[in-house]
Amino acid sequence: MHKSSLSPVVSLAAAIGGLALAAPLLAADNDGLTLAPGFSATVVQEGLGAGRHLAIAANGDIYLASRNGLVAMRDKDKDGKVDETAKFGDVNGTGIEIYKNWLYVSDNVGVYRYPLKKGELAPSGAKQIVVAGFPVERQHADKTFTLDPKGTLYVNVGAPSNSCQEKDRQEGSLGKNPCPILEKYGGVWVFDGNKLDQTPANGRRFATGMRNAVALEWNVGQNSLYSAIHGRDSIDTLFPALYNAADNATRQAEEFHKIVDGGDYGWPYTFFDTKLNKRVLAPEYGGDAKKEPEAGKYPDPLVAFPAHWAPNDLLFYSGKNFPAKYQQGAFIAFHGSWNRAPEPQAGYKVVFQPMKDGKPNGAYEVFADGFAGEMADNNPRNAKYRPVGLAVGPDGSLYIADSQKGRIWRVTYDKK
Amino acid sequence: MNAPLKLVAIAVTLSGAACAVAGGESPAPAATPAPAAPAAAAEAAPEGQRLYARHCLPCHQADGGGVPNMQPPIVDGTWVKGDPQALALFVLTGGFDSANRKDSDAHNPMPPFAQLSDQDLAGILTYIRAKFGGGGSAVTAGQVAAARATIK
Repeated sequence: MHKSSLSPVVSLAAAIGGLALAAPLLAADNDGLTLAPGFSATVVQEGLGAGRHLAIAANGDIYLASRNGLVAMRDKDKDGKVDETAKFGDVNGTGIEIYKNWLYVSDNVGVYRYPLKKGELAPSGAKQIVVAGFPVERQHADKTFTLDPKGTLYVNVGAPSNSCQEKDRQEGSLGKNPCPILEKYGGVWVFDGNKLDQTPANGRRFATGMRNAVALEWNVGQNSLYSAIHGRDSIDTLFPALYNAADNATRQAEEFHKIVDGGDYGWPYTFFDTKLNKRVLAPEYGGDAKKEPEAGKYPDPLVAFPAHWAPNDLLFYSGKNFPAKYQQGAFIAFHGSWNRAPEPQAGYKVVFQPMKDGKPNGAYEVFADGFAGEMADNNPRNAKYRPVGLAVGPDGSLYIADSQKGRIWRVTYDKK
Repeated sequence: MNAPLKLVAIAVTLSGAACAVAGGESPAPAATPAPAAPAAAAEAAPEGQRLYARHCLPCHQADGGGVPNMQPPIVDGTWVKGDPQALALFVLTGGFDSANRKDSDAHNPMPPFAQLSDQDLAGILTYIRAKFGGGGSAVTAGQVAAARATIK
């Protein structure tokens, strides 16, 4: 059913682009990226370090969250390139979103906001704490978030674990049952985004069974929450009798779901197996690479994306620049895998999932590719760029942020 | 969904193949062996390399370079170049808390590898010291056993 999909063509082009001879030809335009037909990309800013998510104000000002702090950017002469850049604040993290006249940002332990005042690029007002005091963790610690039009704040509290084993990431160790991590992690918690100085205890668990929902977005048209969730690692090294390296590289879907109040999306007890095209019990919880959980207990994903692609941002397009088929559809930035090794790494692209009335409407298409370059030694460290953040400008153009060098591209539709 | 996925996989494999040739499959010609490396290091390397691929590579990668923010590099680190018994103890016990690792910004803790036999772990450590530690000396099963004996 997906034979007309764009993805094989674009991916082959990207692979060829990785070879030395072909590279200069592609680099001649679109900064070396391969894009869906009719689109072009320009570099609006570069060199900002480990970029994360993006937000764009109604006046076109660009705000980037990064591991090196917050950055505000303005294109004063409207030539498509940033000509004023200002660092501000003291937050190193991933989440960033504009709600009313506030810039919401997050790090590993909290969500904060800065006032956006008319005419000001970098906010001069003091940071306010919306929620703080999440436990300090290392794994899946970024408290990415989204806000609905009423100001309800949905926070991703990732699980500091791979699969809730008795002994984390140890061969053969079985899963804790029930998994106690789910009491405080591995789901989405809701807060009142208009209230200050909240603690995690003020939140309510909205949904669970989500290992790490970095890509979390309120869909205004559908009045619903959606997420593309990072699936688990290492089925082969932890359970070598059941799975081999090729299985580990390809079978555990990155699941795209509509997230409903009270929903349970199956981590750590299950994962969605792309080879069998069904949900199976995790090997830590009695799985034998075939056995299924109780029917109807966990929803199937709307889309099962390939294993380890690492969905790091999600947005629903409602801008005016792109053709009609993009309306309501989802763009997802896939940061790219490390956990497919020793098999070839994959991901490192921006994908478009056509949607209608909140449901997938056809196969996903690769929208932008070629970020990683040839990536020597199959190591993500050597990726040229890794897409991580997405935002739409007031004119409907799509902005993409990179985590390797802090480059930001603006993608526009030119063919009328 | 299968058709495009397979094609994507082929495409990725094509680009990955070049890397494998350049980086992984011919360690002997690629790396100039240090003259001081004992013969035992080279002898143990094929088995050590196989065991490295099975237990270590998924996180530390084929080039031992680790993954930024996720797993630290092995290459040229103090552990791989340092005392073999300390290295053995570190891998047997894993975790973030072993001395030098407190300041690591890596997200993922290393699990303990105490399930490996002295011989297998010695093979892995010999391989990584030769390949990623600037041609360090071979590690013996006896050294691993001695490290294991210190674990309380």
